[in-house]
Amino acid sequence: MIISRRSLLKGAAATGTVTALARCSHARERSGALPEAVGMLYDSTRCIGCRACVTKCKEVNGLPFDRDASGIYDTPTDLSSTTKNIIKVFRNGDNHAFVKQQCMHCVDPACVSVCMMGALHKEGSGKRNYPTERKGTGIVLYDKGTCVGCRYCQIACPFNVPKFQWQEAFPVIAKCEMCWHRRDPSQGEPFAIANPACCEVCPREAVIFGMRASLLAEAKRRIVADPKRYNGRIYGEREGGGTQVLYLAPAGVSFKDLGMPDLPAESSAHFSESVSHAPYLYGITPVALYAAMAFVLRRRKKRDDRLQRGGETKR
Amino acid sequence: MIGYGEPQAIGGKLLARPMKTLLAIFAVSLGVMWYRFSAGLGPVSNMTDGFTWGIWEPVNVVVFTGIGAGAYGVGLLCYLLNKGRYHGLVRPAVLAGAICYSLGAASIVVALGRYWNSYWLGVPTLWNLSSALLEVAICVLTYVMVLWVEMLPSFLARISASPSARWKTFGKKWGGRLQQAMPYIIALAILLPTMHQSSLGGLLLIAGPKIHPLWHTALLPTLFLISCLSMGFGAVVVLITILKLTWNVEHDQRLLAEMSRVNAYLLIALVVLRIGDITAGKLWYVGWDLISLLFFVELALFLTPALLFLSHRVKRSRGRLFGASLLAVAAGAVYRVDAYLSVYRPAPGWNYWPSIGEMTVTVGMAALGIAVFILISRMFPVLVVEETATGRPRASESAASR
Repeated sequence: MIISRRSLLKGAAATGTVTALARCSHARERSGALPEAVGMLYDSTRCIGCRACVTKCKEVNGLPFDRDASGIYDTPTDLSSTTKNIIKVFRNGDNHAFVKQQCMHCVDPACVSVCMMGALHKEGSGKRNYPTERKGTGIVLYDKGTCVGCRYCQIACPFNVPKFQWQEAFPVIAKCEMCWHRRDPSQGEPFAIANPACCEVCPREAVIFGMRASLLAEAKRRIVADPKRYNGRIYGEREGGGTQVLYLAPAGVSFKDLGMPDLPAESSAHFSESVSHAPYLYGITPVALYAAMAFVLRRRKKRDDRLQRGGETKR
Repeated sequence: MIGYGEPQAIGGKLLARPMKTLLAIFAVSLGVMWYRFSAGLGPVSNMTDGFTWGIWEPVNVVVFTGIGAGAYGVGLLCYLLNKGRYHGLVRPAVLAGAICYSLGAASIVVALGRYWNSYWLGVPTLWNLSSALLEVAICVLTYVMVLWVEMLPSFLARISASPSARWKTFGKKWGGRLQQAMPYIIALAILLPTMHQSSLGGLLLIAGPKIHPLWHTALLPTLFLISCLSMGFGAVVVLITILKLTWNVEHDQRLLAEMSRVNAYLLIALVVLRIGDITAGKLWYVGWDLISLLFFVELALFLTPALLFLSHRVKRSRGRLFGASLLAVAAGAVYRVDAYLSVYRPAPGWNYWPSIGEMTVTVGMAALGIAVFILISRMFPVLVVEETATGRPRASESAASR
């Protein structure tokens, strides 16, 4: 018995159909920043690199200070499970520019898209009911109760923000949650939503906290008011589908120089979900395939059984 | 399903020297696992926040399940395309698949940071259906159970043959019921791998900025699906050849060559798809560098076994077919590890090479797999042994002398 050309062709035709269907069905809508979304604006031209934000972040989040081998305080050099916020510097001859790194709180976050049970989720939109959370703020929060530690978030995040506790037997994922725990409901917005310590402590207001929409307007205003000061772009307005933390960089320095990845306007979550959801057609494909296969196999088995019984009686 | 040799238990001593060696290797890896569970992942592995999956996910899950996809491939041929001739290959392929997939699932538990939370996966309201990994997790766990259910007829046959009348009726009764349910189980056993093997490729779609463009494409799910079939067919030929040499298991050269011809077309499809993908706007990524070289090495690795499978000399020779099949498995494995690890660059400055501890766990898991395969084939009717001229199976003799 030879695998006939016809059966191979049939298989190819089926694959083709599925692919064609995949092309024409868009399984996922593009999401934009919500009107209530909060965020931060970091202006590299104002930052003096004092690292007050790094220290304050550790303090309010209960993170240990980094120490060298002899136990002396040492400054952290990168984001880690004990450092959720860091200041780095780009140097090019006499030129230099500081850059702050923390969770970007993406408008359409990759980590949230991949998290198996919504341990990483946008505030108020988790898979579990979190009564204290408010919908629409867009803050990406972490719930260790539903995290299995698969670390897919680390693979997915284009900014390499989520960090894992490698030295712990019972580890968690650590990342900036925009000091959501420091919100004060007695105050007006945005402080009723969150209150990032880095913004509070910054002596030069290089990083400020507010509603994303007003921060975006402020960034545009600064560029227009002093076009020679800036490189003219606002990182996070569209990059990777947009982020809720926005960046301004000095003239002559690109965001790539500052270590920000060059991302397309389509979020990687949107790309990945569109490609992988499409063939499923909202779950119809697997059910239909299963039903068809079970039907064919059952009919064939019945026929085989009949043949076998027939053969036995003849004997 | 009439007229084929009946599977039989190989018998023989269970704790022979090879078995002891395999178990010893596994015991060492158990030690590493114990240390991992008490001290955390950092001390035993070279995994970092950049290379967060190390080799456990790319090798223990993605490659092991690729090898285990022989059950899927043979099932497709035998049941869905109704090629009854492949029936003798089903049980060994399903056993190998069940073992590979179980090892993959077990390795994941070792790799998970917060493994004690995994029981939440049983609560569908918590499922984030956007997550390719969730799809893989649920599908693989279900498929592991399906594969072992597919193995149940072997176990029940052994129970039916027991001297106790009670066990005998138990085995016969449930064996019969299982036969009735088989079409539904087999349909599941074909649907689930189709879903999760493509999702293993789909997993990488979201890591677009980190994976080299020659590998990162919307075709990833398709490529992974085809590559699992190719690896699976290759692994079945390798397995049957080894079993022929050790236990004189039935080895039908024409049948295996026929199956490998299908494999040749799959491998050619992989090459065509990948070349088609890069000619559609990615040609300028090809240059004189290691990454491009790796890309062409992969294409050569796909193409070589494909051409070999189509050659008459290879079709006729057991050894040559074995060699070509090994190449096909290697090609799939290299492709998968490359996509997950070799061409994955989280950001400048991150480097990774697996630690001794990580490699020990991978090797230990593989050793356990081989040990379980030997154990089950000795005790239960899985393999069809070739009859010798005297009409008596030779296997039990040779096995007993081991």
